[in-house]
Amino acid sequence: MTCHDAREQFSALIDDALDAPERAELDAHLAACADCRRELQRFRDTVALVRAAAPVRAPAGFVDCVLEAARPVPWPQRLLRGLFVPWPVKLPMEAAAVVLVAVGVALVYRGSPELQQPARPEPAAPVVTQAPSVAPPEAPAPARENDAPRILYGARGDEKAREQDPPREAEKAKAAPRAQERVEGFAKTPEPGALADKKRAEAPVVGKLEAPASRAERQRAAKDDVRPGTTQQTELRADSLKAQRPASAPPSATSAFAPPDVSGQLAVSDRELALRSLAELVARLGAAQTRRFDTSDGPIIEIAVPRQVYAELNRGLAQLGRWQPSKEPSSLPATIRVVVRITS
Amino acid sequence: MEGRTGDDASLVDRLRRGDPRAFEDLVIAYQHRVFGVALRMLGNRAEAEELAQEVFLRVHRAIGEFRGEAKLSTWLYAIASRLCLNRLASGERRVARHGDEALTRLASREVSPAEEAERSELETALHRAIAELGEERRIVVVLRDLEGLSYEEIAEALELELGTVRSRLHRARMDLREKLERFLP
Repeated sequence: MTCHDAREQFSALIDDALDAPERAELDAHLAACADCRRELQRFRDTVALVRAAAPVRAPAGFVDCVLEAARPVPWPQRLLRGLFVPWPVKLPMEAAAVVLVAVGVALVYRGSPELQQPARPEPAAPVVTQAPSVAPPEAPAPARENDAPRILYGARGDEKAREQDPPREAEKAKAAPRAQERVEGFAKTPEPGALADKKRAEAPVVGKLEAPASRAERQRAAKDDVRPGTTQQTELRADSLKAQRPASAPPSATSAFAPPDVSGQLAVSDRELALRSLAELVARLGAAQTRRFDTSDGPIIEIAVPRQVYAELNRGLAQLGRWQPSKEPSSLPATIRVVVRITS
Repeated sequence: MEGRTGDDASLVDRLRRGDPRAFEDLVIAYQHRVFGVALRMLGNRAEAEELAQEVFLRVHRAIGEFRGEAKLSTWLYAIASRLCLNRLASGERRVARHGDEALTRLASREVSPAEEAERSELETALHRAIAELGEERRIVVVLRDLEGLSYEEIAEALELELGTVRSRLHRARMDLREKLERFLP
């Protein structure tokens, strides 16, 4: 046995892993070789050094970490989750979200005249035979056009407000019935877009003053509006307008309609009494009732009130019943047009 | 190895029966050894902790597959070794393999400051020397000299021939002898 062969056996010798013949041969070599004995000792010392290494301890809390990692998701639950979570939870949620978005889009579209205006055909004069039941304001207010959609008066206002002021969505959701009325209210309420549409449709019979203004209004709307619309819905709305329009309503001979500055609902117990009280209030304040529009749900009164007595009008309305005005625009004109819908 | 065979058999039975305390007992019993292997092999405490946790989670999931032909400890070491070697080979390491400061912070006995300094130096050199071994040699020396497995157990855990274990262990010790020369008496 050479020294190299002997030293190759050192590890097994230390671990007592040599068989008897190997061990005897190695012992014989070591007995005769001082260098190998010395080398064996250093080898033993090395192994002893390694074995004396400080023990390693797992960090504090390791057991809890492992138990925590193992406990919450036992394999059956993991299996079930892996198999079924996408079906009962994810897919229905996604489907519900899609449906919700679709319904929302449909409602907004249905209630948004400006969405449909680009596709609107030029209204045929013979189609409309009756004049609008409410008189348009003294003059359109182009400068207030941007404010108009903010006025909570119709679906158009709703839609714009939804875009510009998302937190109001929740508030509107609470007032779902009213919102629905507004959506349908192209026939019931003098919604700005609807009235503008109506004016366009009726231009030939309303009078010569309306035609230019109506065209200007339409041009403004077309300029502002980049979304497509449908003709069918517009015609349906026009039909609805006609159906609900009182036959006795006088034709309007004023200029093109501009949206009111403030609108709201006045819930009263006695409509007639409220109408009389409102007339007295209007007279007392020096304001003027500019239009009246009777619907099956109650009359709608438009009042032109000087800005100085607007607050007093609000207080007076609040005394007549439950007055819920819309959010006011940031700046009020000298003469504020307030539309009051009286309901019971 | 400690004489845990009887305890292990009981532990395995309880694990198979779904005794909720059995897994906790298993982790308590083997946490330091599994973590030790992981730390010696990976050289980083956070990574070692993560890997040791993975070892126990695998045991938790696969206890039904443990046939009991090997010792429970050997099975655990086999899983830990395989995970360590796989990770070292995969290149998914977040840290360098050598020279981690954690190796200098291994638990130490209560000793005098001088002894501690000397011990710290020795420990640092020792663990650095181990860390610098090739992975195949390192796992063998860790299992044999630090964890106390027999050649047979190492061969079983690493699925190696006995002669391969013996050869690798010898090479590893020879490397260490050279690296630790100055600390030898």
